[in-house]
Amino acid sequence: MPNCLVCYKWTLDEQDIKIKSEDLSLDSSRAKGKISDFDRNAIEEAALLVEKLGGAVAALSYGTAAVKQSLKDVLSRGPEKSYWVADASAEQADATVTATVLAAAIRKIGPFDLILLGEGSSDLFNQQTAPRLAALLGLPCLSFVNKLEVEGDVVKATRKLDDSVEVVTVKTPVVISVLSEINKPRIPSLKQVLSAAKKPNQELTVADLGLTPEDLAPKAVRKSVKGFVMQRKNIIFKETAAAANVAKLKESLASLGLS
Amino acid sequence: MAGIFIFSEDRALAAQLLTPALELKAALGEPLTVLALDAAQATELSTLGADKVLVVGDSATWIEGLGEPLAALVAHASVVLVGGTLRGKHLAADVAARLKTGMTTDAKAVRIAGGKLVATRILYAGLAVCDEELPLPAVVTIRARTFLAPTTTTAAAPIEQAVAKADARVTVESVTPTSTAGVDITAASRLIAVGRGFRAKDDLKLAEDLGKVLGAELACTRGIAEDEHWLPIERYIGISGQTVKPELYLAVGLSGQVQHMVGCRESKTIVAINNDERSPIFEAADYGIVGDLYEVLPLLTAALRK
Repeated sequence: MPNCLVCYKWTLDEQDIKIKSEDLSLDSSRAKGKISDFDRNAIEEAALLVEKLGGAVAALSYGTAAVKQSLKDVLSRGPEKSYWVADASAEQADATVTATVLAAAIRKIGPFDLILLGEGSSDLFNQQTAPRLAALLGLPCLSFVNKLEVEGDVVKATRKLDDSVEVVTVKTPVVISVLSEINKPRIPSLKQVLSAAKKPNQELTVADLGLTPEDLAPKAVRKSVKGFVMQRKNIIFKETAAAANVAKLKESLASLGLS
Repeated sequence: MAGIFIFSEDRALAAQLLTPALELKAALGEPLTVLALDAAQATELSTLGADKVLVVGDSATWIEGLGEPLAALVAHASVVLVGGTLRGKHLAADVAARLKTGMTTDAKAVRIAGGKLVATRILYAGLAVCDEELPLPAVVTIRARTFLAPTTTTAAAPIEQAVAKADARVTVESVTPTSTAGVDITAASRLIAVGRGFRAKDDLKLAEDLGKVLGAELACTRGIAEDEHWLPIERYIGISGQTVKPELYLAVGLSGQVQHMVGCRESKTIVAINNDERSPIFEAADYGIVGDLYEVLPLLTAALRK
């Protein structure tokens, strides 16, 4: 019966972020928080495993003070308990910092047989946290998993890679990152949402975890974040007669040597 | 601390990494070492400007398990460039953690400024672009076709063996190449990308017919591949799919969501056909036709056939 931990990130919903036309800066004032897309698959996979095999699932997140908004959501998706580290450093954290904080928290609240994460976060999509966490904890890592089977202490994972599908086995404990295809995350029922409010959560402070300001300072520092704007010709043919539009497009393609 | 190192198990990508690596070599005045997966790759890469080639494994090596030995080999590096395949990204993050260094994933450009590495990458699935500044040593992954391989050859660099043992805790049971029916759409110079504007799988024939006339391959949105299964997964363009840079990208019946466009926005020319004039695809297009694809495609096919 596996003792599982899922790590997740509380991110801004990128659908609500707008690019300001005057200076291309990002306006996230209307963006709501969400559990990062791929992490929802990790939470679902842990919940499915425990429903099938028994065991337990806890959740862990590191974020700014906003991470507290995620507790009810994550607990309605299966985990029995959630741990959270809220610190202003998360605003500028890179994968070095995130993995360091998560590793410190796991040393305190662990050990776990399976540690699951999404392949990357919806905002930064660095795809680094799982391998980094495994390296820091001295555990093997199976990344980009789209099928997971656990039998006793043996984990069999199918990994979907660029040009191949690979099946690997490893003994627990192990860190696993999952792809979005692995499952379809549940939409929590009213009962699950209500029971989430009664489940325990525990704050871990960076001081509790013995983390220094140096541990919390990013190595990769994000500068000059700008909205991406396409520089395109935007020549649009929209006459009522389709044939006229087609003739103009044919002419344009010919002028580029593309007909 | 000195030296620039590159690694990719993908041969074409390893050669492409040499282009930014040679620029970093010039900027930092440090030697460039290629970490080659096997002897064949070592020979191939030895004449593209590197100072030294180290052979770290063989074709059977589980790349992701090389973190510990590679971290030891690059312990004194300034910059490590790793090919951004999924295996490469896993390995690079492992190495970066062991070296306690920062890492940029999928850099579009790299340069040295003020003694630091500055790497450009995208955020929020392509909505934004940012520069990341990393102190040296730094690890960077770069995806295929971000750079062209160097075209000038040099005298062959010395090739040495460096024994690297992969993590033995993980057992590879099987590796099955993904069937792509022999078509690599990332190599196609012209693509027709289809989206939900098509009402049925059979209707894709309209795009196929145009493709035959234009000499273009079919690509698609995630919905067409993953939800409808009308085209193989390998043909979908987007943040978690393929990234392409063709001469011509003809987007038909797709709205141009940022998650899709990030995979094609470096195309030379983008053409859109969509019945909704307000669709964001027109902002991303050089040329466009507002109209019903069921009417426009046959007309366009006939017009181009003449």
